[in-house]
Amino acid sequence: MTNESELTISRLIAAPPAAVWNAWSIPENLEKWWIPAPIECRVDMLDLRPGGGFVTRMREEGAADFQPHVDGCFLDVVPEKKIVFTTVLTEGWQPAEPWLALTAILTFEPQDGGTLYAARVLHKNPDDSSKHLELGFHEGWGTAIAQLAELTER
Amino acid sequence: MANQQTSLDTVFHALADPTRRAVIGRLLGGAAPVKRLAEPFAMGLPAFMKHLSVLETSGLIRSEKAGRVRTCHLNADRLAAAEDWLSEQRAVWQGRTDRLAAFVESQNPPTK
Repeated sequence: MTNESELTISRLIAAPPAAVWNAWSIPENLEKWWIPAPIECRVDMLDLRPGGGFVTRMREEGAADFQPHVDGCFLDVVPEKKIVFTTVLTEGWQPAEPWLALTAILTFEPQDGGTLYAARVLHKNPDDSSKHLELGFHEGWGTAIAQLAELTER
Repeated sequence: MANQQTSLDTVFHALADPTRRAVIGRLLGGAAPVKRLAEPFAMGLPAFMKHLSVLETSGLIRSEKAGRVRTCHLNADRLAAAEDWLSEQRAVWQGRTDRLAAFVESQNPPTK
């Protein structure tokens, strides 16, 4: 039974840590996988250093404007090894009141010629998961799975 | 819906303490009287009762008194609500991790 507001997810990726790092650290790459299609993702800030801002925005299919998605701050960054960010602070460690408070600890470890990518996501508690749903987080899950299959089977 | 979300806060607050999680774990096996629930813990009954009161406020447990014995029951629905929230979160991060892997692997086809 999971009884704390913490999630751990890991996956072996068949590419070296440098490649996974590139998918994370180059804005146009991050835009390709950070939010499930058909929702569009725009990376407004990706300042990979402690205190650096992390801002992504999202636009649903057919919508005119981009909406807020993540507005956070990096806490720890070790190229090709580790990224820690939180939404409880924004750029320059400015305290914030996010609609979804979380701290994510992402690690990239070389393993079997690939990368063991692990995400540990810490939540204060479920603030506002209804907003989470309104913002369309779960739309396009089916599409995302189909896209994944398409990409991997290519 | 708004009430449900707010009350999830009290559920996670209740689950944030190891004593209270242990009580929940115990009640998963069936209802039990307060006195027996308190036995494994090195704390006075008043301190233990405070933990029970937090659990009761969150709706995770309910209790009833018969004569001099107060018996606690688990409300499985409330526990399931917390699990649902966590599994939604898991789906978001799992999907993201899958897409990251798909993207990286398509950019870096394995050399054979």
